[in-house]
Amino acid sequence: MRLPLLVSAVLVATPLAADPIRFTDHEGREVTLPAPAQRIASIPIPMASTLIAIDGATDRLVGMNPTAKSAIVEGILGRIFPEARDIPSDITAPNFIPNVEELARVNPDLVIQWAGRGPDYIDPITNAGLNLMTIMYGTEDRTREYMTMAATAMGRPERIEALIDWRAEVQTDMEARTADLADEDRPSVLYLLRAMDNLRASGTENNYNAWYHILAGGRNAAEDMVGGWADINVEQIATWNPDVIFLNSFEADLTLDRIMDDPILSLTSAAQSGRVYKMPLGGYRWDPPNQESPLTWMWTANLLHPDLFDYDLRAEMRSAYQVLYNYDLTDADIDEILWMGMQGGQANYAQFAAP
Amino acid sequence: MSMALNQTSRRAQLSLRLGVFPAMAAGLALAMLYAISAGRFDVPWIRVVEILWTRAWDLSGSPETMDERIVELVRLPRVLLAAVSGAALAVGGAALQGVFRNPLVSPQILGISQGGAFGGALAILLGYHGVVLLGMSFVFGMFALVLVGFLSRINGRTEMLTVILAGMIVGAFFAALVSVLQFIADPNTSLPAIVYWLMGSFSTATWARLGLAVPGMAFGLAIVWLLRYRLNLLALDEAEARSLGVNPDRERWFIFVAATLMTGTSVAVAGVIGWIGLVVPHAARLIVGEDHRRLIPASALLGATYLVLIDTFARNLTAAEIPLGVLTALIGAPVFAVLLRQHFKRTGAA
Repeated sequence: MRLPLLVSAVLVATPLAADPIRFTDHEGREVTLPAPAQRIASIPIPMASTLIAIDGATDRLVGMNPTAKSAIVEGILGRIFPEARDIPSDITAPNFIPNVEELARVNPDLVIQWAGRGPDYIDPITNAGLNLMTIMYGTEDRTREYMTMAATAMGRPERIEALIDWRAEVQTDMEARTADLADEDRPSVLYLLRAMDNLRASGTENNYNAWYHILAGGRNAAEDMVGGWADINVEQIATWNPDVIFLNSFEADLTLDRIMDDPILSLTSAAQSGRVYKMPLGGYRWDPPNQESPLTWMWTANLLHPDLFDYDLRAEMRSAYQVLYNYDLTDADIDEILWMGMQGGQANYAQFAAP
Repeated sequence: MSMALNQTSRRAQLSLRLGVFPAMAAGLALAMLYAISAGRFDVPWIRVVEILWTRAWDLSGSPETMDERIVELVRLPRVLLAAVSGAALAVGGAALQGVFRNPLVSPQILGISQGGAFGGALAILLGYHGVVLLGMSFVFGMFALVLVGFLSRINGRTEMLTVILAGMIVGAFFAALVSVLQFIADPNTSLPAIVYWLMGSFSTATWARLGLAVPGMAFGLAIVWLLRYRLNLLALDEAEARSLGVNPDRERWFIFVAATLMTGTSVAVAGVIGWIGLVVPHAARLIVGEDHRRLIPASALLGATYLVLIDTFARNLTAAEIPLGVLTALIGAPVFAVLLRQHFKRTGAA
């Protein structure tokens, strides 16, 4: 299941092919680049760290969303790639509206933007005569597609193949192990995208979190909810009475105490059995789809079904970070990413402790 | 014939007015009981009564089981908070309409809501929650009012028109500041929290929040209640009021401060909930007439009942919480349209 080390990747860093690169993006736009993109500006947040992972370096990232930058600088990627601090982040406001003057200043040969948000997000870029590639967020299929697009644009097809194969392999393995799982053996899982002030739960429709919870042998506690996301109240959670609660990694101040100190939530089955966990924060947040997603799935599966799954997560993380970022994770790094200090004592969590 | 009909309907109205306050109070009590028994978590109403009854006799104990905690720690504070907020917003609106002699005035007109919204949004952006959010929201609501007072005082006198204009200016300024905060907020973390909070909700109601909200609201309600006779005089035109020994300037500011206390506190604990201060006083006027001695308590009772019911819908219609501001506007706008037409038909006929 481990992501194999790619020796060839280092050798083919600069492709010799002179043929132009052509592919179709998520808005059906034909993207044509005369040569592999050397200067890429990424407006969507998770894409910046994905580009770093596809290239194994930060050299070609010349602009990114300020929110992406703060996530990188504050997280482990900031330690692995300290030079990321100097990458400009004023090419867009956090709300993804491009700043054309700043974009023109960093002179990218490819700009990446969200698809499906209308002309205000797109036209300023194309009107400035810049090459544009749009990506759609959400499902695993789309993630693989936009990772492949980005790799194609960068002229790194050999690297993306390994990354996609890894995703497919882990997915297939997990599907095989949960194939015979009866409905009543699937723990109900509640994922809280927000928990500090309001409580926001994930629906099932086009929801990535629900997708991998089901993949890992769970079922969505909020499956009767309409749409992808909704704000709910504690009473609704009491009614669902989830077996497992996952807290998002977006809210920095959010800890398990939010659940354990709440008079209602602390009575849920999840809290009573110690199955409340905060999502890890690695090269990117583990909640949404990104280059490290298979690690998220394995972490989730080991927690939901310790009887069915026994991935060696620490070893998986080490080899993945070696390939993705050319970095040797220390035990302290891993403990920090997995919040061992905060949740090492939770149910089934000792399996992730350093030997 | 038509004259006779008119007289009987007048008499019917009169008899209605006599029993109207006990009826409104009973309506509020029923609405609150209904709200406490309704919820996404199934607690049979007989069990709700049992839980409340047991607690009433033993205030020292603490709720242990899930249904006890749901009723006592989730629903009870939420319903009470909705009730006092509804009363405060409605009375704030009624008082301001009296002072401005204009039935279309609402707390938004003084920029209070926008000021409070900015304070709360800023708190969220800076990563503060709970008491700090509450405090900042209130302080900026108050600050907006002080600005309005400062701007509208020209040559030692304050004209009604300048107050309204100053209120619009200050409101627009704070609304723009809220947009600035939304612009710079992190779309992953603070932006959704700000948007959700601005749309209004009681979903985070606790006894602690209720405890923070009640003093300000009660104080505001008390000021308006004490000034209810004066409101009748303030509603007269300026010269007439002065001749009756009223100092309109000073008493108006008492009302403004009271309205700010009530609106600022409600924005702080539940976000921006519009339309209550506009719709409820109109409905109250249809039932009890223009006299503020009756209008103020009627607005309080109706406002409390209205917001308790709206909030019950907001938390029960779907698994997802429906933002209160959306519901109050969706219901408030058409109801207000009907009320206005009735109002003009009646005043036009008289």
